[in-house]
Amino acid sequence: MNIRKLAWKNLLRRKTRAVFTGLGIFLGIGTFVALASLTAQMEGAVRDKLDKFGANILVTPRAEQLSLGFGDISLGGAQVAHAKLTMEDRKAIESIALKDRLRIVAPYLLAAADASGKDFVWMGVSAADIGQARPWWKISGSTIREREEVILGSEAAAALDKGPGGTVTSGNRKFRVAGVLAPTGEKEDAMVIADIRDVQALGKNPKGVTFFEVAALCKDCPVEDIVAQIGGALPGAKVSAIRQVVESRKAAVDQFRKLGLGVSAIVLAIAGLMVFVTVMGSVQERTREIGVLRAVGFRRRAILSLLFWESGWVSLVSSVSGAAVGLIAAMLASPLFGIERGGIAPSPALIGVAIGMTLGLLGAIPPARKAAALSPTEAIRSL
Amino acid sequence: MDPFIHLENVSMIYGNNGTSAAALDGVSLSIDAGEYVVITGESGAGKSTLLTILGGLQVPSSGAVSMRGVDLSMLSADGLADFRRETIGFIFQAYHLLPYLSARENVMVPMSPLRMSGRAKADRADALLSSVGLPGKEDRLPSELSGGECQRVAIARALVHDPPVLLADEPTGNLDSTTGEQILDLFSGLHKSGKTVLMVTHNRANLFRASRAIRLRDGRVAEDDPFLAPYQAL
Repeated sequence: MNIRKLAWKNLLRRKTRAVFTGLGIFLGIGTFVALASLTAQMEGAVRDKLDKFGANILVTPRAEQLSLGFGDISLGGAQVAHAKLTMEDRKAIESIALKDRLRIVAPYLLAAADASGKDFVWMGVSAADIGQARPWWKISGSTIREREEVILGSEAAAALDKGPGGTVTSGNRKFRVAGVLAPTGEKEDAMVIADIRDVQALGKNPKGVTFFEVAALCKDCPVEDIVAQIGGALPGAKVSAIRQVVESRKAAVDQFRKLGLGVSAIVLAIAGLMVFVTVMGSVQERTREIGVLRAVGFRRRAILSLLFWESGWVSLVSSVSGAAVGLIAAMLASPLFGIERGGIAPSPALIGVAIGMTLGLLGAIPPARKAAALSPTEAIRSL
Repeated sequence: MDPFIHLENVSMIYGNNGTSAAALDGVSLSIDAGEYVVITGESGAGKSTLLTILGGLQVPSSGAVSMRGVDLSMLSADGLADFRRETIGFIFQAYHLLPYLSARENVMVPMSPLRMSGRAKADRADALLSSVGLPGKEDRLPSELSGGECQRVAIARALVHDPPVLLADEPTGNLDSTTGEQILDLFSGLHKSGKTVLMVTHNRANLFRASRAIRLRDGRVAEDDPFLAPYQAL
């Protein structure tokens, strides 16, 4: 018989109270682990999804704005580019040190050309990149898969009165309408979208590129470093992070984290309070027993030790079981939160057990101190 | 030579909300080692208060208590705990065994804080249970033992550190007369083995086994007879 065993035996005797004490920690740690695990998985999922959701770096030719005018007459302005971008620049971008973080480098060329006798802006894109570069596009029909196919923006389709399967001519070239873009609210609604090589041919601008969109994988988002490296690789280009996109990604992930932490903090505070209340109740219920222990020579420290062992046993069992249930709950619930590949994240469980133990022991401090401070006479007044 | 136990003008006043009552009022006593002292008196005479003060469970309002030359008022709470463990064995009327522990484990409780092997503690407990007449009942819970057997377990628990002093508060109060006699036989045996025994009791039959009787009345020593003449004549 030692204090550890004495504590364990007392818990077995008072199973209901022990279960009630542990229930708070069990629920608190279970909730914490489930939320922390879900949050961690959601962070990854949100990052993945946001990373897939378009570009976060724009590469354009460095240009100067010139204002044109004579006397009081303003003739507007004109941009003068110092250098043009070409398809060769894609290789330069893809060769930067942080190239592993580049998910996609998509070249675009904008050119004015006629389509079935009307003037339109043609947007040239790499047919292979459309799915990744514009994942939100909803196309009636199909996307372009080869040259001499086009997608019509919704307004362009209406103006040309063409739909999937139709034909659009430009000069002496004929293009099959592969699909029609659902309205996006953007300028592409009024554009004709074709393979970039076709647009380069129509615009008589072989290998020409108007701008590149770069989608960088944004985990730990070193977007400034990527921007600097692309700028170094393309001295004649202006490289800018689409700050709003980067910040919104961070903000979305931070919101998830804060929500998880907030809910966990509330549940854990309640759990701590439950430990405090139940252990305090246990001390009052066992005043006589504590008096007997003091009478047979238990020092204050031994009484403290006894109550801490009791709380420690309860905390350990309830924390471990709560963490296990929390992990299982997170795994089961992950599909509901849009997490495609739910997995076990051990760190929230380990942190949860540590928090549960700390909580149990902290919650036991005031009642244990009260028990240890009981005068033996007060404790055994009923003897 | 200093007395083994000495009380000098000890008073104990309980107060609450402006009212106060003296449980002990200027008690002075000296008890030598090896005495078997019975403390009697009506309810409220201060018997149990005297016992708790002697056991270092309670500090008197005034006066001095010393045992084996140690002034108990000079000891800290933990110092008193150590002193009780080494010097005093308590036996209570209601036994106060821990109901979820077996007889052996109850006897081992005072050894819980000690760094001893579990085997050594169990051997010591078994030997003590055997010495109080409970061989073979080591694994029984208090609920599986009779009142007399529970009191024997409590006595074994009190003896676990081999204290020189036993303080017993109505140890036969919950027992029938036959069982009570058997428990008193145990106390007589312990007294003969050299223990100093102080027993609070209502039962005058207990007096015949003692070497000294102290009667308290209203917190004062009304009679202190080292030869028990008045009682033995009854």
